[in-house]
Amino acid sequence: MSQLAVRGVSKRFGGVAALTEVTFSVEPGEIFGIIGPNGAGKTTLLNCISGLYDTDAGEIRWEDRSITGLPAHRIARLGIGRTFQIVRPFGSMTVRENAATGALFGQPSGRLQPRQALAYADTVLDLVGLAAKRDYPVRRLTVPDRKRLEVARALAMRPRLLLLDEVMAGLNPVEIEQALDMVRQVNRQGVTMVLIEHVMRVIVGVCTRALVLNFGRPLIEGKPEAVLRDPRVIEAYLGERYARQGGPDASPTQADGEGGGGAGQ
Amino acid sequence: MSQLLQQLVLGLLLGGVYVSVALGFSLVWGILNIVNLAHGAFVIIGAYITWVLFSRLGVDPFLSLPVDALVLFALGYGLQRGLINRVIRAPLLFTFLLTFGINLVIVSLLLLIFSPDFRSVTPRYSGSGLSLGSVTIPYIGLARLGIAMLLALVLWFVLNRTRIGAGIQAVGADRDAAQLVGIDLRHVYALTFAIGAAFAGVAGGLIGLQQSITPTAGDPFTLQSFAVVILGGLGRVSATIAGGLLFGLIQVLGLNAPGLGAGYSNAIAFAVLVVVLAFRPQGLLGRLA
Repeated sequence: MSQLAVRGVSKRFGGVAALTEVTFSVEPGEIFGIIGPNGAGKTTLLNCISGLYDTDAGEIRWEDRSITGLPAHRIARLGIGRTFQIVRPFGSMTVRENAATGALFGQPSGRLQPRQALAYADTVLDLVGLAAKRDYPVRRLTVPDRKRLEVARALAMRPRLLLLDEVMAGLNPVEIEQALDMVRQVNRQGVTMVLIEHVMRVIVGVCTRALVLNFGRPLIEGKPEAVLRDPRVIEAYLGERYARQGGPDASPTQADGEGGGGAGQ
Repeated sequence: MSQLLQQLVLGLLLGGVYVSVALGFSLVWGILNIVNLAHGAFVIIGAYITWVLFSRLGVDPFLSLPVDALVLFALGYGLQRGLINRVIRAPLLFTFLLTFGINLVIVSLLLLIFSPDFRSVTPRYSGSGLSLGSVTIPYIGLARLGIAMLLALVLWFVLNRTRIGAGIQAVGADRDAAQLVGIDLRHVYALTFAIGAAFAGVAGGLIGLQQSITPTAGDPFTLQSFAVVILGGLGRVSATIAGGLLFGLIQVLGLNAPGLGAGYSNAIAFAVLVVVLAFRPQGLLGRLA
């Protein structure tokens, strides 16, 4: 049984088809990558899974029950955590209080009191490497630290699935290595992951499988290395002419300049 | 000298009234981004509840305050959940229109139920005060300042030390992110609005002790709350306290300004408001988003 099953999900905004019949499934313990050019519908897909958007068609199943149409906070409490591409910490709170909101409201097992939630926040801040800065107001955090805080806040919900929207974008290569370690470590604790990435090194480095979206449609799904070598993927990223000239050996990683971090391998 | 001291005292006491009235308005504006034009009507409902309990059952006005709070809390929760939630994500103008309409409906209902007659609440101690040398401090004004500070303390505690307060702050900061950590947005919206209404009810409960109550007496409170929040700034309990006390002081001092008639009091108060905004657009203690 798949842990997460997305079946034929479509989403339109007015006349624009943002997602068209997207189908994939994620097994427990996987790190599943979603890639695609800008505007391919990656973030929209995560918004549909986490309940921020209602889908127009299709079904989303989580641990063998349908979560289609459930409000976002209910989905969060069922064990699905989510981070944003552009970090969105709660500005009036400290780092520790930010992380504690996840524990306070999002844990599936029920209510925590503020003191317990703060204690649990310390645990996850330790895990993401923010323990020393726990009393900072969030505006004092650097960009990589804010990304860590996003992950910590989601982890404080004790999720069984974590949806990561470009946590590596904007990080330098050293920071990316650190973030990768963090992803692997969280995954080792039994958290399934779906991550959107522009940085191909991340996809190849940690993902068990990857799905490529193009204009809201699934293009191909499979092992990351194979997916990235597929001519259809190269065409989607670089255009048809390049695909014909470069052939299957031209990796899209070489020219992936989007999202501010497409480092080659 | 003693006259100035007396004016300062009266100004602070009036400021206490403004603080109590504006706290709920500020909370709703800051968290929900709703400028609640029915806020003054909520205040007047509180005033009428106290008046009914006092004139029919002889309940002391101070003892009726918890009733005011409970009734307005329930009304606020219902109105938000049933009505305002439908337009919460719409542009500001929609909530403006909706709360304007709610205000009209409440005022009309109050006219139907209570008639436009002037009502007042007059327990034995009204009018008496504490004499300190040449300065007199009216008991009721002092009590209202005390209750305003108590309300501010309660609000601060709820926002900063409780689970629901964390939820309210999170929703105020980022609605989407709040949902994704498991916060029930609609419930928090309704609770926030309900707390704002309950505070208005408590503030209103003591209105009848110092002025007469009519169904239409609420509108000035909405305007005053607006001025207090702009003066003090959004997003902090302390900002509402500072704004309210300062606005009260300016009004009383303006009322007695040498060489000017009493009619300039409001003009002076709003002129100070404009000057403050020119130099600190976020208000005295407010945070820029």
